[in-house]
This record gives sequence, C-alpha cells and structure tokens, in this order.
Amino acid sequence: MGPSILDVFIQYWPLFLKGTLGTLRYAFIAVGLGSILGTFVAFMHLSKNKILSSIASVYANILRGTPLLVQMYIAYFFIPIVLPILNSVDKEVFVLIALILNSSAYVSEIIRGGINSVDSGQSEAARSLGMSASHTMTKIILPQAIKNILPALANEYIAMIKETSMAGTFMLYELMYTRTILANKYLSWQPLFIIAGIYLLLTMVLTTLVKKLEERFSVSD
Amino acid sequence: MTDMTTPLIETKDLRKNFNDLEVLKGISEKIYKGEVVCIIGPSGGGKSTFLRCLNMLEEPTGGEVYFEGEKLDPKSTNIDLHRQKIGMVFQQFNVFPHLTVLQNITLAPTLEKKMPEAEAKEMALKLLEQVGLLDKANEYPRKLSGGQKQRLAIVRAMAMEPDVMLFDEPTSALDPEMVKGVLEVIRKLADSGMTCVIVTHEMGFAKEVSDRVLFIDDGMIIEKGTPEELFDNPQNERTREFLSQVL
Repeated sequence: MGPSILDVFIQYWPLFLKGTLGTLRYAFIAVGLGSILGTFVAFMHLSKNKILSSIASVYANILRGTPLLVQMYIAYFFIPIVLPILNSVDKEVFVLIALILNSSAYVSEIIRGGINSVDSGQSEAARSLGMSASHTMTKIILPQAIKNILPALANEYIAMIKETSMAGTFMLYELMYTRTILANKYLSWQPLFIIAGIYLLLTMVLTTLVKKLEERFSVSD
Repeated sequence: MTDMTTPLIETKDLRKNFNDLEVLKGISEKIYKGEVVCIIGPSGGGKSTFLRCLNMLEEPTGGEVYFEGEKLDPKSTNIDLHRQKIGMVFQQFNVFPHLTVLQNITLAPTLEKKMPEAEAKEMALKLLEQVGLLDKANEYPRKLSGGQKQRLAIVRAMAMEPDVMLFDEPTSALDPEMVKGVLEVIRKLADSGMTCVIVTHEMGFAKEVSDRVLFIDDGMIIEKGTPEELFDNPQNERTREFLSQVL
C-alpha cells in the first residue's frame, strides 16, 4: 500500500498547491480569452450575413463536436508543423490555444443563447424609437442578456477547471500533473485521491458561489 | 384639422409574404397629417402587419412606403431618423425592464437626439404627470400594472416628439379594468391633433375617435370610410359579417 493519503498530502502539499493554482490559472486564461474570442463568434453567428453566420456555426460545431484531448494533440503536434516559425515558442502555448479555442466555442453559444433569450419585442421597441442597431444592442439587449450570460460563463469556468486536467498530459503544470511527478516517487494511488478531492472542493465551492450569483440576478428582476 | 396637400404616410401596392403565406396583397393608402385612422378587421387579416410595415419593423416584400414624401428603406441608416418621427406602441408594451420608468423615457432622446440629460428629464416628468405616473418615475416597470406599463410605453414614444403614432392593439393585452385609462390617454393624444394610426378591437373607441376607419381582411383594404359610413352603413358583405360578430 505504501504511505497513507494524509502522509502524502502533508509531505507534498506545496506540489498540490502549485498544481491547484496552475489549474485555476489555465482555466481562467482559457475562459477569459475564450470569452473575448467567443463574443466575436457569437456576433458572427447572430449576423444577418449568411456567410459569417455559417462560418461561426461550423466553427462552434467542430470545436464542440470533437474531444478536447484530440484538439490538444492537434494543436501540440500540428501547429509547429504548419507554422515552423513557432518552433521556438513554448509548447505550453499550443495546448493553451486549444483550451482557448475550445472554450470560445462554448462561450459563443452561451452569449448567443443569452442574447436570443431577450424578448424580440425589446429590440422592436428600441428600433421603433429610432435607436440605432448598436445602441439597441448595448443599451437594451446586452444589459438584459447579461443576467443569463454571467452565471453560464461561471459554469463554463467550473467545467473548464475539470477539462484542464488533460493539459497535464502535455506537461503543463496543473493539478493532474502532480500525479506524474509523484508517480516517479512510486506513489501510484494516493495522489489521485488528493487530486480528486481538490477538484471536488473547487467545483463545489464555485458552484455554490454561482448559485448565489444567480439568486442575486433573479431578485433584481 | 387634416392637411390634405401631401400625405404624411403613403403606401403603394404594399405586399408582405411570410414564406408562402401572402399576408398583405397590395395595399395603397394615404394617411394625412392630423388624421386619426383606426384599422379594424379579423385576426390574421393583416392589420398588424400593415401597421408594422409603416415603420419598416416588418420589411415589405413588395411595394413602397413613403413617409413625409420620402421612400423608406429598411437597409438605409436613414431609417433610424425616420423612425424617430414614427412613434409606436405595442400590444405587449415592451417597456424596458432594466431601466427605471424615467430612464425608459429619457434613453432614446438623450442617445439619438443628443438631448441634454436635464432637459430630457424635465420633459419626461411632464409627460409622466400627464398620464398620472409621476409618482412612479423612479420605480422599475415590474412594479407597474399592465395599464401603467402601456401608458409608460405611450409617453416613451411621445418623448421623441413624433409626427405620427402607430398603435398595435394597445389594449388587447390589458385586464378589462385597465383598458379605459389607456384609451383615455390615446383619445387625448388624438384630440391634441397628433396623427394616429390605431389597430384595435375596441369598436366603440374606433367609432368615437376616428376620422376614418379601414377594414382590412385577407391582406386587403376591403372597405374604408368615416366611422358613420363604415359602422352604420357598411357596403361590403365581409364588413357586415365582421361587424355583426363583434358588435
């Protein structure tokens, strides 16, 4: 059996802490930059221009319809081949790109859904007052859509915390990567339970926070 | 007083299809400044679609709409300037729930007409007083009854100082006891000389308030005339049938 879970945790907690911070950081970068990209994709998707809207739709479908792990492998091995100029770049970046693109697809659907959830009468009323399309979006639609978008984005962050565990496969220092380190010290099973416990703690705490956020939004309605 | 020289709104052979469904089958009509025109007819006959084409909320499939002599083009940015002069009130009120009553009124004038905040506020308070909502100025619309929401929607449109007001079944979504107050506001507006085009099921109101009545069914104007002509002595069989069902 070897040492107990508690022994391993007490001895190696700085490793787990570093891994946890890595996980939170990668998830934050993925969802943060993914949100910026996803916003563009969402507006492309909502555009009346059929070509733009189709491109966005295909983009979101491919990234949501293929496993993230496959996307990471493709980014890790294929980007350096087609763009040799990037050979000197840390390979961590390619894996992060896959995370960001993947997140942008989900975020684009969240934003699109949030905007579509606002009653079409709202935009009709604004346009009938002579408000421009952009004012209608920024002053009428988005302030109402945000109530649906923000909690969903927070949920996407929670999901991404779990997804980043795959990045350890590519030597990114996140929570799951501590398993690889400790496996080299012949600790095969103890780290797994510690890692699982930390993931569970993170998602439970964040889920509770999101619930609070949702309640606050529904009160102001 | 109606000015009979140039029409404020003119439609020429206005057509609208929703996919295979022909909702408007060529409507040509002129509405003059100061006129109060009520549009009546059975549900699904095209009256709301006709009204929504007048400010291009619904893009016509064929024909033209002229407003103050200019052809309306939904794709032109100019359309926003025209819409500022065409107020519209909806069946479902469509007040902005995330803004206070006051902000509902001041938003469009300050944004689109660059009206100073203080001036917009002063005007909004005056309008609210006229419709008995002054004490609600800082409330959010969720605190208002249906009738109050609709009165807010009317003054929100008025704040843009439009040349015409379009009403799309303004009392159809209201509880019966709320209808009177809203009709009272519309009547005052009509009496003040505002050009009004009103799609309504309130026949008594239409008869009282209108200069002219249009009966629209099956995507066409079947019959039109003064309220006396249309209500008391309808010529068309379909008009008679409709009126016998609703009166």
